[in-house]
Amino acid sequence: MPAELTTLAQLLLNGLALGAAYALVALGFVLILNATGAINFAQGDMVMLGGYAAVALARVLPISGLVLLPLVMLAMAGFGLLFSLLAWRPFRHRPPIFGLLATVALGLTLQEAMNAVEGAAPQAGPTLLGTGEIRFGPLGLSRASLGILIAGLVLGLAQAWLLGRTQFGRRLRASAQDSVTARALGIPVDRLIAASFMLAAALAGAVGLLLSGPYFVTPTTGNDLILRAYIAVTIGGWGSLKGAVVGALLIALFESVVAGYASSVVATAALYGAVLLLLVVRPAGLFPALLGRRA
Amino acid sequence: MRLLAALVLALVATPAAADPVRLPILVPVTGFLSLEGTSQRNGALLALKQAPAGLAMGEVVDTATAPENAVNALLRVLDQGPVPAIVAPMLGTQMLALMPTALEEKLPLLTVSGTASLTEQGNPWVFRFFPSDKLAKEAHVRYAVEQMGKRKLALIYQTTAYGQSGAAYIAAAAKRHGASLVFSEGIDTDVKDLAPILGRAAASGADVLLLHLHAGSTALAIRQVAALGIALPVVAGSALHQPATAALLDPKELKGVCAESGASPVSGGSPRLDRFLADYRAAFGTDPDAYALAQYDGTQMLLDILARGARTGEQVQAALATGQWDGVAMHYASDGHGDMAHSAVILCYDGLTRVPKIVQQYDGLDAG
Repeated sequence: MPAELTTLAQLLLNGLALGAAYALVALGFVLILNATGAINFAQGDMVMLGGYAAVALARVLPISGLVLLPLVMLAMAGFGLLFSLLAWRPFRHRPPIFGLLATVALGLTLQEAMNAVEGAAPQAGPTLLGTGEIRFGPLGLSRASLGILIAGLVLGLAQAWLLGRTQFGRRLRASAQDSVTARALGIPVDRLIAASFMLAAALAGAVGLLLSGPYFVTPTTGNDLILRAYIAVTIGGWGSLKGAVVGALLIALFESVVAGYASSVVATAALYGAVLLLLVVRPAGLFPALLGRRA
Repeated sequence: MRLLAALVLALVATPAAADPVRLPILVPVTGFLSLEGTSQRNGALLALKQAPAGLAMGEVVDTATAPENAVNALLRVLDQGPVPAIVAPMLGTQMLALMPTALEEKLPLLTVSGTASLTEQGNPWVFRFFPSDKLAKEAHVRYAVEQMGKRKLALIYQTTAYGQSGAAYIAAAAKRHGASLVFSEGIDTDVKDLAPILGRAAASGADVLLLHLHAGSTALAIRQVAALGIALPVVAGSALHQPATAALLDPKELKGVCAESGASPVSGGSPRLDRFLADYRAAFGTDPDAYALAQYDGTQMLLDILARGARTGEQVQAALATGQWDGVAMHYASDGHGDMAHSAVILCYDGLTRVPKIVQQYDGLDAG
């Protein structure tokens, strides 16, 4: 393989791994968006909390990240339920802006709480598949990145199955599309929304663990992630799960490739420039969803 | 009876003289600089704990990260009565915001901020007990050029004010020492995949990689240099010396990596330093960094001045400006602009432990 092609393939591979993590954040973001119509600005902070949960669990249970992953997801699902009781339930009959502000407030509270408890210093969590690098011919990928890639794929497919092939998923989608009619048909909309929060928080917990090993966790880790999730959803189509995944992957690949050939500063500026352009030429995103018009 | 009454009156009338002096400690213990700010606070508190009983009483106020927070904190402190000096935040922007009030109130600010411009403003009330970025980057480059024999430098810096300021000093120092900066590029603090920039740095023909990054990015860069097998030796900025940063990395990833710092308390090296280390660990249950030690030294010098009777800002300022202090980290004396620290160290990791060894000490960095 020519050297230029190898370089490009390596950049794409690195971008794909990071994109898998961004995609899980964006999926959690869209789940709540679809369920409540409100933007959850604390989704990134939930990732941060998941990272700290992984760090804390790894302290008391020095075992593989692979074993810790379901524990962290379970703990975060519980947190998701609490989060829905605090940030959504009290405001569910009010305009979505109330829910949005509640998530902002809760997110900042989480950041400051973790700062007070754990301090601002970065902390390293467990990795899913250990450390070191795996070679695929001329290409290399760290075990941590491979773990993110595999976990992203598995969790993404599991969510697609859950939402697309199960009664729970069908009810959830029905509630998201028209909650009034869903209620009239006897669907427990409030419980389904609470379940959406739990699912979104579990996904955030998974990302928190996956990123905490190779990239560390700090109380402000979520700030960058929520911005990327928001952009991913905008690119992909407001409310579209498929769009969120595609948008997240595009962001990561764009960042990786442009940073590889120019610089990370140019990559960031070019990304936002591209988003602006997209908003002009395709304001509904790549995969416009029905919710786009509603939200 | 009248004698007894006079004695009682005297006792009642003089408690003010025996009251401990208020010493406000305005530091960022929340926000992005809370790790360093907490170290600064701890250093000051440890010095106060070891001061003669009744001499001074610390009042910790969190300045977070906004300049206006620092100004409000100072004004609140001054509303409660006069103070002889302030332990002032290490955040450069907060210091710049506090300096006009310090000038107006004739109030010495003792800081460990590295922002070089603080002592270039002609404000006689600022005293810095940590080498400025200008001096630290001089040591950084001098070690790479003189000790490592490198001439082609690659630099990765943070795009924050701290990073850009340090990058400018590194570029100037490289020029002074006859080295060329063959690669220089900034990264945001949220960049996670450093492989692209590290690849370009390695391909630039550089023979050494200098890092001037915050703690998280420093650890990421060193981890990815090791993972990618990049053969360039690394000399990092002072963020690496912090025990919390080194703790993120496997000792093997740190092998051969060096860094500049004002000091490295965990490295030990003298009975006084060992005692400080033990006292700090006993008091706070954690390892100190250079900021903690610098603030400890600065506060001790201040307490010594207070113990000799100084009670006003002007008296303290005069003593700081003309006095000298043999601190635990180094010897402190003002250069006439408030810069008290003139030394820096280079520390390196052997790949076996996370405790670095000091391999080079530079004194009188601003003498030339």
